[in-house]
Amino acid sequence: MTFLAFLLAALPTLGTQFKQLPAGKGKAQVEAACYACHSADLLAQQRLTAKQWTATVEKMMKWGAAVQPADKQVVIDYLAKHFGPANKFTPTATKPVGK
Amino acid sequence: MDRRSFLRLCALAGLAPSAVLAASHAQPRMLQMNGYPINAETPLELLTDYLTPAELFFVRSHWLPRMPDPKTWKLTVDGDVAKPLTLTLADLKKLPRAEATCVLQCSGNGRALHNPTLPGVQWRYGAVGNARWSGVRVRTILEAANVKPSAKHLHLFSSDDPPGKVPPFRRSIELEKALADAIVAFEMNGAPLPPQHGAPLRLVVPGWAGDHWMKWLVRISAQPQPQTGFYMDTAYRWPNNVGAPGVAFKPEEMHPVTELFVKSNITTAPASAHVGTPVDIRGFAFSGVPDIAKVELSDDDGATWRAATLDPRHDPYAWRLWSYRWTPKRTGSAMLFVRATDIKGNSQPREAIWNQSGYLYNAWHSATIEVKA
Ligand code: HEC
Repeated sequence: MTFLAFLLAALPTLGTQFKQLPAGKGKAQVEAACYACHSADLLAQQRLTAKQWTATVEKMMKWGAAVQPADKQVVIDYLAKHFGPANKFTPTATKPVGK
Repeated sequence: MDRRSFLRLCALAGLAPSAVLAASHAQPRMLQMNGYPINAETPLELLTDYLTPAELFFVRSHWLPRMPDPKTWKLTVDGDVAKPLTLTLADLKKLPRAEATCVLQCSGNGRALHNPTLPGVQWRYGAVGNARWSGVRVRTILEAANVKPSAKHLHLFSSDDPPGKVPPFRRSIELEKALADAIVAFEMNGAPLPPQHGAPLRLVVPGWAGDHWMKWLVRISAQPQPQTGFYMDTAYRWPNNVGAPGVAFKPEEMHPVTELFVKSNITTAPASAHVGTPVDIRGFAFSGVPDIAKVELSDDDGATWRAATLDPRHDPYAWRLWSYRWTPKRTGSAMLFVRATDIKGNSQPREAIWNQSGYLYNAWHSATIEVKA
């Protein structure tokens, strides 16, 4: 369902570019748990402390993100390592939405 | 998304992957803040028109939207009304037509500029635009439904449905504001409202932040109390007494974000200039009150200010385009600041007020120009 909904939402634009997350321990767990509802950009643009990432991952788990309890810390560590307060994010230039 | 899931998605959609990829190379003009659901902002340098074209207008999605089928779509009007209504698009188009040309800004526009940094879509400048919205006044509809005096709030419902256990996006606005100037719009800039902007019908709340402008509207309900739920009680709130940067408040110490703050941005400035040769600086300014009184620029770090020329085009709560002819006096790196003041005397602050969700950023904007001899 999620994937189908994704298609319906992405099709009108077709300008969407799919970003990759950086390699590292925890990447697979993040992809498995987070891509159901949003793509990598939303993670890769954040600049959060480990404390803020913990709160965000817990919020997402409450909202339905399938993070295995054993993976929770790995997921937080990966996000805090790559997308900490000093992270730089440049949005992808795409074509006009709906064109 | 990895290659394999991308290919699987293409197969599901019956699309050749090459078609998707090829299409994505045309005219790179929007800034993608998220692939799915779509969040995209407009580069500031393209926000130079009085009316922002729909295809350049920022797009904000909380999740993958469930859009209604315009053919079977209806608007339900219920709650504290003597005569509940169900209106088709054809019914709405028979009612007296109303129009508003005004700014739509995401309450989180500029979140990325707040310090300390905050979670959320990292909008910088371009989650804002000015458009002509046409439809029917909410007042017209509520009068037709014989709204009762007990009603004080208008609850807003869309066809949209969140994934997993994410709370639904439900909002309400004070009935007083809804009756004053809100409209339900089925057109944007004279064309049918595009799907990503809420087709077939969205709410337009002049002067108020985008979270009130419910897209894919299916039901409005007149109620004595405000709407409850995550997107009223936890999100989109502003501290009653603002604290120092980094200080978070409990939801009960905050109230809903409503009116936009006075703000101006520079859209056009040259990267370099020559001493004694004038250059044109342009931009836009708007506020949560109906008009801007003045826009000023400073080239001496805010010590002195000179007035920009305001464009005569204006509608209540629309932005004012402005221009300023600046003549560099000395060589080196010059920083030009802009600040706007609205007709109620609210003036843009040098620093924006930090708040835990990063709403309503409106610090002075600047452009840096290298001045050569
Ligand atoms: C069940 C759906 C779902 C899943 C799965 C999910 N999220 Fe989210 N996420 C959301 C929604 C909904 C939002 C809010 C979007 C908005 O309002 O823009 C969000 C927003 C965010 C934000 C922006 C900050 C915020 O709080 O709004 C971050 C960062 C984030 N998610 C990280 C993650 C991470 C990391 C994972 C995987 C561990 C994840 N999400 C999995 C639904 C989900």
